[in-house]
Amino acid sequence: MTVKIEVLKPGLETAVQDFPGRFGFWEQGFPPSGPFDMWSFRLANLLVGNKETAAGLECQFMGPTLFFTEDCVVAMCGADMNSKIDGESMPMWKSILVKGGQELTCGFATKGARAYLAVSGGIDVPDVLGSRSTFHMAGVGGLEGHALKANQIIKTGISNEAPMQGRQVRQSCRPSISTDGRWEIEIVLGPNDDWIDKAGIKIFFDSEWKLQSRSNRTGYRLEGPDLTFAEKAINKGPEHGEHPSNILDHGYPVGSVNLCGQTPIILVNDAPSAGGFINPFTVPSAAFWKLAQSKPNDLFKFRCISVEEAQKLRRDLDSVCNEGSIE
Amino acid sequence: MKFDTPNFSPCGDHFAMVQFGDDASIDLNFMALGLTAILKEGVIDGVLDTNPSYNSVVVEYDFDRITYLDLVKELQKLVEGIGSVDKLILDSRVVYIPALYLDSETRWCIKDYSEKIKQREYDPKFVAHINSLTDEKQLVRVHSGTEHWVVAVCSTPGLPLMRALDPRCFLTSPKYNPPRTWTTLGAIGVGGLSTSIYTTPGPGGYNLIGRIPIPLWDPKQKHAIFKDKVVLLNAADRVKFMPIDLEEFEYIEKRIEDGSYEFNITAYQKFSVGAYKRWAVSVGSKARF
Repeated sequence: MTVKIEVLKPGLETAVQDFPGRFGFWEQGFPPSGPFDMWSFRLANLLVGNKETAAGLECQFMGPTLFFTEDCVVAMCGADMNSKIDGESMPMWKSILVKGGQELTCGFATKGARAYLAVSGGIDVPDVLGSRSTFHMAGVGGLEGHALKANQIIKTGISNEAPMQGRQVRQSCRPSISTDGRWEIEIVLGPNDDWIDKAGIKIFFDSEWKLQSRSNRTGYRLEGPDLTFAEKAINKGPEHGEHPSNILDHGYPVGSVNLCGQTPIILVNDAPSAGGFINPFTVPSAAFWKLAQSKPNDLFKFRCISVEEAQKLRRDLDSVCNEGSIE
Repeated sequence: MKFDTPNFSPCGDHFAMVQFGDDASIDLNFMALGLTAILKEGVIDGVLDTNPSYNSVVVEYDFDRITYLDLVKELQKLVEGIGSVDKLILDSRVVYIPALYLDSETRWCIKDYSEKIKQREYDPKFVAHINSLTDEKQLVRVHSGTEHWVVAVCSTPGLPLMRALDPRCFLTSPKYNPPRTWTTLGAIGVGGLSTSIYTTPGPGGYNLIGRIPIPLWDPKQKHAIFKDKVVLLNAADRVKFMPIDLEEFEYIEKRIEDGSYEFNITAYQKFSVGAYKRWAVSVGSKARF
């Protein structure tokens, strides 16, 4: 059965996303989009009996207020936004039944930054370029291409699975969201680590980096000390540009740390696919949830890991996003 | 400089970068697009997506299907299989794009920048001067006299990065410093050795020389040409600008609006890198249109 949900208040850039997002259109300039914290998103879907790929809502910093016209099983995972149903506190990491006529309200995120609301049957929006994920900048996917607006109607899909209520994610299987605003973020060297000299690499790993408020799903801007450059960044052909951080236009891997002058910008889910700055490091996909749950002024310390370690972390994350994590 | 063997670097857990050289030589882009074309046929199991640019390709892969080291080995084999760049024959459409050169909207962008940010000459005059052309009229002749090779479609949806193919039409110009805060939609810009078209209004650094009346992408997929593909241009397409006047610009805008515009694209040719390079040498770079 399809359930209609009315958007009473949209919250701050609440948008439809699906996992893993949009693939195959990168070379036309389309980033993957999709849920920034895939860990919480996938578990929310599994809780209500959906496939982990079903479309759900990503709530950022302040979630929406929604009115349910009919009964619907929902689950909220990720940041704590003090969600309430008809004024009663709503449990997180648990699938619950919202009755027709009830209102789900969210406040500001107190712990973490992004919460994921899964509804039984998923959210029914058209597939655009192979995904339901919203890519706001291009007006593609999601609900009419953009974040939710007041008075819009969200429709759920028809679920093949029976909706499941009263299930919860085991405590040990939830991401541990920092409460002191400090994060250790795994990072892999490359592709352009050879443009930074040894001293510069040491500065990068020894320093704490503050997340600037001008950060979003396009890029995470960091504030910290200046880095120093290798010879090849300084003595190079004019086609690379003037600043040591300039390079002839090249593709930007998702997760790469784009050094724009002296501002490192971590390129995330909605990032541009290419440009003219170097990318000395790359944050692996398994660490994205930490970025997603951090807030402006939080402090990042980076830990260098190998490609193989980064892949193992992702396998570990994938194995947690599984029925076995639910009780 | 072209590297003797391509450089490979890992980027995080599921990307790898292949780099054929470290400059803007067009041969490196031919290699990048040659490799991309082969990868798109699905010859390496586990390759999910590709993102080519001037001299490199970023490859996204599924590490449960192929390890980074095996991916590098397979890519090396493919590159060896291509052999000399001159042997590459690429699918390449010709896309005819109407262009109103020296238009009033980009003129306004330049004037606005001049008044608010930094005094500068009218861009077409500036580009003409530093390329030793007589005036902006010759700039139009030179810029529209060549096919422009689509090096990559990147950065934001549908944005083409292009290089002139005819050596008699090569242009080079420094970009704005500091950049513009505003550029009108559809503006044609030249900067460095490249030409681009602004597919979204916003900041930019290329010198503005004209404007096009047709969309290069449409997320709403209104026109039939965007039904299967939201973006008009592909890497390895060739773009030919067709100079038009204001009357025709407005006529085309109307036909775009009512959906009756017929996009002018030919798709029966192949692009032979070897034949192109022999021809380019034969015409030389001294002459100008």
